[in-house]
Amino acid sequence: MVTLEEYETVDLFSNWDQKTQPIITIDNLKKWFPVSQQSILFSRVVANIKAVDGVNLFLNKGETLGLVGESGCGKSTTARVAVKLEEPTEGSVYFKGIDIFQPMSREEELAVKRQLQMVFQDPYSSLNPRRMVLDLIKEPFDIHYPDMLYEEKESRVLEILAKVGLEDYHALRYPHEFSGGQRQRLGIARSLAIHPEVILLDEPVSALDVSVQAQILNLLHDLQKEFNLTFMFIAHDLSVIKHVSDRVAVMYLGKIMEMCPTGELFRKTAHPYSVSLLSAIPRPDPRIKMDRIILEGDVPSPINPPSGCPFHPRCYKAQEICSKVTPQLEELQPNHYVSCHFPEI
Amino acid sequence: MAQNKKILDLRNIYTYFYTESGVVEALDGVSFDVNYGEPVGIVGESGCGKTVTAHSTLRILPKNGKTVAGEIIYKGVNLLDLPDLQMRRIRGKEIAMIFQDPMTSLNPIFKISDQMTEVIALHRKCNKKEALEIAIETLDLVGISEAEKRITDYPHQFSGGMRQRILIARALALQPSLLIADEPTTALDVTIQAQVLEIIKEMQKKLGLAMMLITHNLGVVAETTKRVHIFYGGRVVESGPTEEIFLDPKHPYTYALFESIPSLEKDKTRLETIPGNVPRLINPPKGCRFHPRCKYATEVCSRVRPPEFKFGKGRRVACHHFEELDLHIDMEAIRESRKAIKEEA
Repeated sequence: MVTLEEYETVDLFSNWDQKTQPIITIDNLKKWFPVSQQSILFSRVVANIKAVDGVNLFLNKGETLGLVGESGCGKSTTARVAVKLEEPTEGSVYFKGIDIFQPMSREEELAVKRQLQMVFQDPYSSLNPRRMVLDLIKEPFDIHYPDMLYEEKESRVLEILAKVGLEDYHALRYPHEFSGGQRQRLGIARSLAIHPEVILLDEPVSALDVSVQAQILNLLHDLQKEFNLTFMFIAHDLSVIKHVSDRVAVMYLGKIMEMCPTGELFRKTAHPYSVSLLSAIPRPDPRIKMDRIILEGDVPSPINPPSGCPFHPRCYKAQEICSKVTPQLEELQPNHYVSCHFPEI
Repeated sequence: MAQNKKILDLRNIYTYFYTESGVVEALDGVSFDVNYGEPVGIVGESGCGKTVTAHSTLRILPKNGKTVAGEIIYKGVNLLDLPDLQMRRIRGKEIAMIFQDPMTSLNPIFKISDQMTEVIALHRKCNKKEALEIAIETLDLVGISEAEKRITDYPHQFSGGMRQRILIARALALQPSLLIADEPTTALDVTIQAQVLEIIKEMQKKLGLAMMLITHNLGVVAETTKRVHIFYGGRVVESGPTEEIFLDPKHPYTYALFESIPSLEKDKTRLETIPGNVPRLINPPKGCRFHPRCKYATEVCSRVRPPEFKFGKGRRVACHHFEELDLHIDMEAIRESRKAIKEEA
């Protein structure tokens, strides 16, 4: 069988320098969702939900970047924009040096999407219940390689099923016949089918039981090695994040608070929000007695986020400047980015 | 004497659900107890019978469910023998329950004051005005600021964490002796979870409540409870003091469960996994229900239901081979890695 690369007709990424440039760069990304008020005839925009409000981050080839934050902080929206499922309000996303939102032909757009895939959180609602597994996983080939022979598509589907730990006979079944863990395997198979370079995993294990969660985490680890994949792994569970990622970005209310290698986040925590987040995790060890920092109040609404640093109303270090000036994400130490006026390092 | 200490004693409970596809043996001979003033944890994965246990205790099973055998002794009375009218006085007044989802446990069309005073006036036999005072007092206790003002708000005006506080307040206002908390923090973010857990712990201590905390989060159990019962496939597989079980699990399932969660303390690239899935309880495995997934299973495990072995200080384990197995969590390695982290910091 020929490799998928030989089908490639568009040469978009020849200018990309793998050694020096990140594979994905997200530059000052904003995604606002308008809230409109309906009258009889007209609707007008009364406010914006600032789901993502100025995110900067980058993803190096072959690494796993963990994106962590509480619900509603904009993790998923960031990922959806980064795979071009949503248009940004402002800012840009560069994939291999190319702005993916620049005007491009259908062929070029497909070429980008071939390399950028996503796995969704809920394995129950992300698979069409009326389609057989074979058709579900064949679909990416139908879209991206319409000239491929049916037999070849079929054998590729079986190959990918084996890779995610499923059997040949599963191809003729329907999604409802699978358990949650197996469905997530199908979701992974579907995104992996056309051999992308980057996979964005949106909470891929949070709907699963712990014993099954471990199976999926191990599978992802193996696949990453075998296919030299780059992962952006979104989760709200810091112990999962610590387990899978090489670098971590902590998000709060549409902004990146801290981004650094995983080990450093736990040893040299710099942002007060990361500090409180780490201390809030219940530890499965009865002997650990912690002095917990318990944050007051709730995450503010992204419709009307606080001025200055979005974390200042709940921060234990906040001073006057924090409510006035928005701190920028700066590289305080090599590879350790923090946006805070009074970091802990 | 030992008898008097128990507030709740479940003896050999069998609860079945009669569905179109067959009989679901949701609880299959569950026995455990809760002492006066003691927080007890119920741990297990989804579908293992945790919630069914709570619902059986309060006799709030759906129509197709029935507790077919066993005794539920609450303060010396078998709840299964009580007439409905008396059972109603037990629910809420004696045994209160907090449900998992704070979004759906409050009626969206009634004010908080209405929803709270109704139950208080009924169970504590006072008039509406006194009930309102009690309601405000308890809301204040669980950390809702400006309780007099906010009590006239509707549920949608509160965030998830606040709603869970209201539910806790509503449960505590009746001065119950036993509180059943069914996954009280699962729907909440970590920082909010920390707040709510703190309140539950504080209230439990202050009021000397007996508590049954149902959760799948091992961290929450480790921090909140003194004793724990591990559920698997509708049975209790292991129970005993929390600290002992966490450090020295005896049942292969408990051990595998602990090893399969990614931990902040351990550094590992691969997780231990439990092969297969949580069993369905229509036609469950014969003998030990864990045997198809157990590495140590022998022929006897697939035939004979393991008896409960008692040992140590109130520890019980249901496994044929528990004496031969050497399941030790490598505490030395964990301690060392923790030390290394501290030194680096």
